[in-house]
Amino acid sequence: MSTPFAPMLENLTRQRGVRASLIVSESDGLIVDSNVRFGQDGDRVAALAASLYRKARLSASAARLGDVAFLQMDAERGRICAVGGRSDLVLVVVSDPTANVGLIRVALLKAQESLA
Amino acid sequence: MIIAAVEPWVEAPLRKYVDDARARLALLLHPSGQVVAQAGFTRAVDVMTACALAAAVHATAGELGRQVEGRAFRGLHHAGAEKQLYIAPAETARGSYICLTVFDQESSLGLVRMFFADLCRELVSAEPAVQALRGPALSVNFESELNANLSALFGGRTGGQGLVI
Repeated sequence: MSTPFAPMLENLTRQRGVRASLIVSESDGLIVDSNVRFGQDGDRVAALAASLYRKARLSASAARLGDVAFLQMDAERGRICAVGGRSDLVLVVVSDPTANVGLIRVALLKAQESLA
Repeated sequence: MIIAAVEPWVEAPLRKYVDDARARLALLLHPSGQVVAQAGFTRAVDVMTACALAAAVHATAGELGRQVEGRAFRGLHHAGAEKQLYIAPAETARGSYICLTVFDQESSLGLVRMFFADLCRELVSAEPAVQALRGPALSVNFESELNANLSALFGGRTGGQGLVI
């Protein structure tokens, strides 16, 4: 089943080093739509990334820093980048640790505009 | 959080699940409604009520699934204004258990489902070898077994009314 988000996710996953791109409900941690390469556990990434983003948003708000513009978490074997979109939706990208984060950030922020 | 188990091998996996998923309450029971382990409940009567209701809800959803698509539905989620619950079966060599999880804004359905899948795996690896399979719960001994399980969890305290979360 094709959704309105499919071309955007396809475009994100086409970036070099990107393993998965997902649109996730922040409150549920469930996948709305995804483009996941073989070997990635989309459900697990979605649940954890949504939780991470929610906590970052609440922390930024508590610290009176405003909205979270871009979230990046670097780990030993991968990187998670996320931006908030329309209402409850979060756009998440999982990439290799060596992927160009600048390009991913630009692509994510561009995709976020079409979510808004 | 208070965690107690009638079958001791269940306690460690359940404790990890409750911590990881940030659940407010968790209950592991037989499909007949008999409690196996609980986390977060303070009164036996609450456990007894929750077990009966969870077993009934699970049986109802299972039968609906069989009517609709020929096999039982598995996970069931209800969202309230502040609290949500998730009921799903965990299959082991000793038989099927039902797990009732209550959570709030500290967690999410995605996290609970993810850590529940981990709990199912950990129960399978933690369970001791099956010596004798448990027979079906019969009405003649159901109440005495239920009371024995509640006594094991609460040390004989079975009073109180209402569900405290």
